[in-house]
Amino acid sequence: MNAPTSSPLPVTRLTVMQGQARVSAGPRVEFSTVLGSCVATCLYDPEEQVGGMNHFLLAEPPAGGHEVDEHFGVYLMEMLINEMLANGAAKSRLRAHLYGGANLYPGMAAIGTANAAFARTFLARERITLVREDLGGNAARRVDFRPASGMVRCRTVPNTQAPAERPSARPVVAHGDVELF
Amino acid sequence: MTRTTRILTVDDSASMRALLNHALTSNGFDVAQADDGQSALEWLQQNEVDVVITDINMPRLDGFGLIEALRQGQRHRDRPILVLTTESSDEKKSRARQMGATGWIVKPFDAAKLVAAVRRVSH
Repeated sequence: MNAPTSSPLPVTRLTVMQGQARVSAGPRVEFSTVLGSCVATCLYDPEEQVGGMNHFLLAEPPAGGHEVDEHFGVYLMEMLINEMLANGAAKSRLRAHLYGGANLYPGMAAIGTANAAFARTFLARERITLVREDLGGNAARRVDFRPASGMVRCRTVPNTQAPAERPSARPVVAHGDVELF
Repeated sequence: MTRTTRILTVDDSASMRALLNHALTSNGFDVAQADDGQSALEWLQQNEVDVVITDINMPRLDGFGLIEALRQGQRHRDRPILVLTTESSDEKKSRARQMGATGWIVKPFDAAKLVAAVRRVSH
């Protein structure tokens, strides 16, 4: 995939943090993130020219765990797909890129490997075409993604640039609340 | 003998359907699954159910279309329908309510709250 081309007009760079999914069709928008063991999924609909990125910390909740929150890939994948559909994309046209999933520190649990495996399996299960992946290894990555064109640049960066990989504080909004009409 | 409450979950995400299936079956519910609103309608033509739990954004027929079709038909017009969605906009919640949804739950879901809601609307 080509690197984003330089542009005479200013680019609005939006950071996609752990636990976030963002979608845009803005031609000057660029999503950026830095990954260690986390995985970022970039989805793109070439016909609608809309794209989105998520950034998840862990694949799935542990067996028996019922809580599925914004730290987990299983939720953030769905969040990203739903945002894409809400912005005019068609699921059958989606093209995916996967990045990250490194194991930065030897001797630690291979969370990056588990995240990468989850992401590949998820896309296969949802029948979303994976067109490029740069997963695994032991180096942090920086990913820049232009959602309106689908262009991606992924490069390794010093591991010190990777964000601390720990669950962030829960948002003020109480997810899972039920409102009966 | 008490009959097991049967739930139809409608979601285009296989992973989310699996999570819902686990949360509901482990609490004693009988769960059927459909991967979009159209599949749900076809299944409901042949089957009975106590509660429908549906996503909003889905291919072919979305959650709004499913609610509308069920409310306009005879067979399932009074069936409780819970919307389980990543959408958090008041406009969409209001639209679901006007179309006849029974409740609105924002993902990520809390299994205990979901189960409590299902029990409440099915009795």
